[in-house]
Parts: sequence; structure tokens; C-alpha cells
Amino acid sequence: MTSDAPPRTPSRTAPPPTPAVGGPPTAGQALSRTGVAALVVLGAVAVSLLLGSNAIGPGAVLERLLHPALDEGAIVWGSRVPRTVLGLLVGAALGIAGAVMQGQTRNPLADPGIFGVSAGASLAVVLGVYVAGVTSVLGILWMSFLGAVVASVAVFAIAALGRSLSSPVPLAIAGTAVTALLTAITSFLVLTDQSTLAAYRIWVVGSLSGRTLEGIGPAIVMALAGLVLAAANIRSLDMLALGGELAQGLGENILRARLVGLGAITLLTASAVALSGPIGFIGLTAPHIARAMVGAGHGRLLPAAGLVGAGVLLLSDVIGRLIGGTGEVSVGVVLTVLGGIVFVMIVRRSRMAAL
Amino acid sequence: MTTSSLTRRRFTAGLAGTALLTALTACGGSGDDTADGASDQGGAGGWTYTDGRGVTLELDAMPTRIAAFADYALVLLSYGITPVAVFGRTDVASDPRFAEHDLSDVAIVGNAYGEIDLEALATAAPELIITGIYPTDREGTLDTEGVLYAFADLEQQGQIEKIAPVAAVVVGGAGLEVIEALVELSEAVGADPAAIASAKTGFETARDALTAACEARPEIELTRLYADASGIYLVKTADEPVTQMYAEFGVRLTTLVTDGDFYWDIYSWENAADMMTGDVLLLSDEGFQQADMEAQPTFADDPALVAGQVVVWPNGVMSYAYQAAQMTALAETITTAQDVVPG
Repeated sequence: MTSDAPPRTPSRTAPPPTPAVGGPPTAGQALSRTGVAALVVLGAVAVSLLLGSNAIGPGAVLERLLHPALDEGAIVWGSRVPRTVLGLLVGAALGIAGAVMQGQTRNPLADPGIFGVSAGASLAVVLGVYVAGVTSVLGILWMSFLGAVVASVAVFAIAALGRSLSSPVPLAIAGTAVTALLTAITSFLVLTDQSTLAAYRIWVVGSLSGRTLEGIGPAIVMALAGLVLAAANIRSLDMLALGGELAQGLGENILRARLVGLGAITLLTASAVALSGPIGFIGLTAPHIARAMVGAGHGRLLPAAGLVGAGVLLLSDVIGRLIGGTGEVSVGVVLTVLGGIVFVMIVRRSRMAAL
Repeated sequence: MTTSSLTRRRFTAGLAGTALLTALTACGGSGDDTADGASDQGGAGGWTYTDGRGVTLELDAMPTRIAAFADYALVLLSYGITPVAVFGRTDVASDPRFAEHDLSDVAIVGNAYGEIDLEALATAAPELIITGIYPTDREGTLDTEGVLYAFADLEQQGQIEKIAPVAAVVVGGAGLEVIEALVELSEAVGADPAAIASAKTGFETARDALTAACEARPEIELTRLYADASGIYLVKTADEPVTQMYAEFGVRLTTLVTDGDFYWDIYSWENAADMMTGDVLLLSDEGFQQADMEAQPTFADDPALVAGQVVVWPNGVMSYAYQAAQMTALAETITTAQDVVPG
């Protein structure tokens, strides 16, 4: 009798059915969504050139773009163009680096900093300023690149010495340990010598504002090299998604896969960090947004993550310019607020589980 | 309004009635056995001091071992009192403002904002700790529930208050009042009034020379600013005690907006041209320096910058001697500056 009676309230024990939102996107859907993302990035570039904390009209901006001599106060060519170029480059590099990182570690919370790349770059910049008196943008670029490479090689060596590389866990642990150590040394140096580290202090606040395009050439070369490695890593990333052991069983060369992936992450992150200083949240959230759009296959994911990273960073920067009165709200603050909201939305959709 | 009148009469030497009245708040403020000890002793031998917040500190005797935030330690030093411990916002040993002082007997217990080595501070055994409190608006409102300047948070502040009672100097309003408040505090901890009076004479001489220099060059405008990647922070003359005082003495300081945001207005690099009205830049020693300013395309054609009229201007020390030296330098700058911005 009781067993036949319908329950008065819906059962709370059964898991809710996974929302079947049509399953993973088809190839056509993925392509069109990537196209939409590309259009959004184009729109973001236009908005980033047209809007700023100085309310010169769109017509005036276009005129100044076409005739640099008319650009009184260098507002367009001295501020909007450089920060737009930086936003594109840094956002795309961090988005792709984040996607490679999450694929390598199979950890949805991994960001490019997890392998010690950012911490290594920071320490190298401090050492460069402290020991060698580096203050030029180019000098800081090379120091941060060097630090990123040394840190990631150290992390890789520690992980490779210990156990098999098929599991991402040793890499993540080594990365966390190296990050902690490098951060501690950086804090020690920064706290013991306040006055001489002005150049570091300026760099370490991640920003697209107040930066120049000096040193962008080497950074672009670095980023392109990272892009090539990331593209070369696509097949391996898809294999690693099945689990390291299984990928190995399927004939994947784990050592090679890890090396190429790490190289991509290091080059992409180092080029971004060197130009703008550390900028958070893009490397973490862009891959999630991209995955929700085009699915988890890395052939589609990496380009989409790059586009999303560039678009989100540029638009966040524009928002920051518009809400600060005669000043601006830093892009890092906008990203933290916006990124937090987007992240909660993404997490609430169960797509994230499809990593 | 009541707060500002309170801060004006912050030192109540010998006013037993006031001391009795505020003893209750003192217990709330310091909340440890020091206050109890003072009330046990009571009477003539005790030492009381009411700080900028209106908190009355009571000790058995005048404190001779003082720990202070760098800016106030410098004031004490200039009045002949050597503190036992100093904590700074920047590296104390290399701070040029300390160059003329011998710090060999002073424990440096902090070199970054809020990073105070509590063990080292306790080892220095201070009897009184001096720091600051900044108003939160131009009416002079004090957030007495919040954390005092130079401390990381309320937890750290509580630990510091266990080492010794904390006196907070109000850094706001009129510059002369800040100087006078620090004179009163210095005298309360044993500074020689005759030495202070002589420093004040030097200060007044420098003040008159500064006023004369300004009257001779009324066209020279100075801009007090800090800059970093986010843009330029233009100090609002009336909101910052040092600039308020200089303006009172006749210095023409860039003043574009007097209402709105407190303390400074921020100009993004895109809007930098809106504030390029000064002939000389008084640039903070923190953040962007001259070369960084020159690298900003939107600021590179600032007339003062182009003319090389950039003077690095550290945070002011509010003592008569230090301000006399600063005003002498300022008068020299004004006298020799080129008038690069017409009007």
C-alpha cells in the first residue's frame, strides 16, 4: 500500500537529471560560434579605440586614427592604440595558455600561474631591478621571460625526477611548491628593499594603461612561438583528456606531450606577463567560456579561448575606462568582479564537467 | 564639526577634570593593565595625554622610550628625541629623510606599510607608540573604530596596543595645526621647549622668505602629484595639510576641483592634458618618476616636464626644522623656475 503511494514531495535523493542541452556542439555550431567570438573581438577592438575616459567623439577618433598629426595630446595613438594592441595580445595569449594548462593538468581551476610561470617572472624582474638595475621596458621583458622559463623548467625537472609524468598531480605539486618558494623570495626582497624596486612595483600591478609598445616585437615573436607549440600540442591534449595512463596506452609520448605543452604555456604567459604585468582571471575563465561555446576538443577550444581571452580583456578594460570619472578603474578590478560573476554562471552550467 | 574642534584642543595638560572625564574612554581605548596601573597611582606623578582621536593615555610617568611611524619619528628626532623603534612605509635605512639622523640606537621594526615586526617592537620595550590617523573626508571625520594609519589591520593594532599604548596624530586639516599637535606631543614626551621655539623662529623666517618669493613670481604654479600606470593623482591643495599650509603662505598650487573626491583627483593618462597647468611638478618619490612620465605619450608634452622642471617631493615631515628646509627649497624653486605655462 505504502509502496504504491506516490511520494508527496519530489524525491531529494535522486540526482537531478543532467541538463541535456543538445550535448556537445557539432562542428558546424562550433565553427559559427567561433565566428561570433571573432566578430565580438572585432567589435571590442572598435569599442576600445572609440571609447575612453576622455570623451572625444567617434568622428574625432577616426580622424585622428587616419591623420596621426591631428592626434592632439596623443590620446588615440599614445593611449588607445597601444592598449588595444596590448589587450588583444595579452588576452589571447593568456586565454590559450589557460586552455593548455587546464588540459595538461585536467584541473578546471588551473591557471597559467600554477606551474610557477608568473612567480618565476616576478622574481626575475625583482632580481633584474635589484641586482642589475634594470629599469627599461625591454629589460623587464627579458627578465620576466627568463624567469618564466627557468621556473617552468625547474618545475618540470622536479616532477620528472620524482614519478611518472602521466599523472598531472606531480606537476601541479611541484608547481605549487616552486611558486610558494619563489613568491617567498620575492616578498623577502621587496620587503627588505623598498626604494630601489620602483620599476618592479610599477610592473607588478597588471595593467593595460600606462604601458608603451616598447618591446612588443620580441613579445610577439615569443607569443607566436608559444602558439606554434600550443597547436602542436592539440592532439596530445585530447589524448591526455582521457587520462595519462590511457593516453600512454594509446601510444602517446607523455614526456613529449608535457614538454610541448609546458613550452607553450611558458612562452605565451611570459610574453603576456612581460608586457602588462600579471593579469588574473583571464587564463582561468576564458577557457571555460570557450569550452561552453565550442566543446572540449582542443582543436576548437584553443582558438576560441584565445578569442574569448582577447575580447573579455578588451571589454573589461573599456568598462574600467568608462566608470572612473576623469580617472579609470583598473582592468584587474573589473576582471575580478566580472570574471567572478561569469565564473559562477559557468559553474552553474554543468558543461564544465566535460573537461 | 565636533570632531575638528576636538582635534584642535587635543592636549589637555594638567586639566584634571578632563583627564577624569576621559579616563573611561581611555580604558576602552587601550584596554589593558597600563590604564589600571595609572589609575592606581593617580594624582600628581602620573602622565596623561589625549591624542587626536580624543583617547586619553595614562602612564605612571612620562614615557621616555618611544616607538613611532617614520614620519613622526622624524619629527621627534628634529626636536631632539631619539625613538627606540621606528616603523616606516618604505625602507627606513635608505630613506633620505633620515640621512641627517643617527639611527644606530634605533630599532627599525618595519619597512613596508603594515609590515611591523611585533617581536622586535616588543624587544625595543617602548612605553608609547606614535602613529597617525587620516580623516576620511574634508570635514575631518575620523574613523575611530577603524584601523590606524601604518597598521595592517585591527588584529595587528590590538597586538601593538598590548605592547604599549598608542597615540594617534591627526594628519588632516590645516598643516600648521598638524605641526602644532606634533609639537604638543613632542613636549609631552620631554622635548625641550626652548629648542622647539628656536626651530619655530627658523620656520617663520623661511615662511616669510617663501611668501616673498611667491609675491615676486605670482605667475609660477606648482603641481603636487603622484603618478602610476593608472594615471595621475593630483593632490587637492586644501585637503592635504602640507599643500594647505604652503597655499596659506602664498604658494600657487594647481587647484582644479575643490569639491568632489577627497584628498586627490585622478586623471587617467587620456585625461592628463586636463591637469597640465603647472610650471613645476612636485612629484611624489613613489610611483612613476621623471623618466616614466616622459615615456607616457599623453603626458610627454607637459610644459613643466619638457622644461625639466620636475622636483622629487617626498611626504612632508611636519616639524618646524624640516618644513623650514622644505620651504627654503621651495622658495628657491619658485625664484628660479621658468614660467612655461602662460597665465
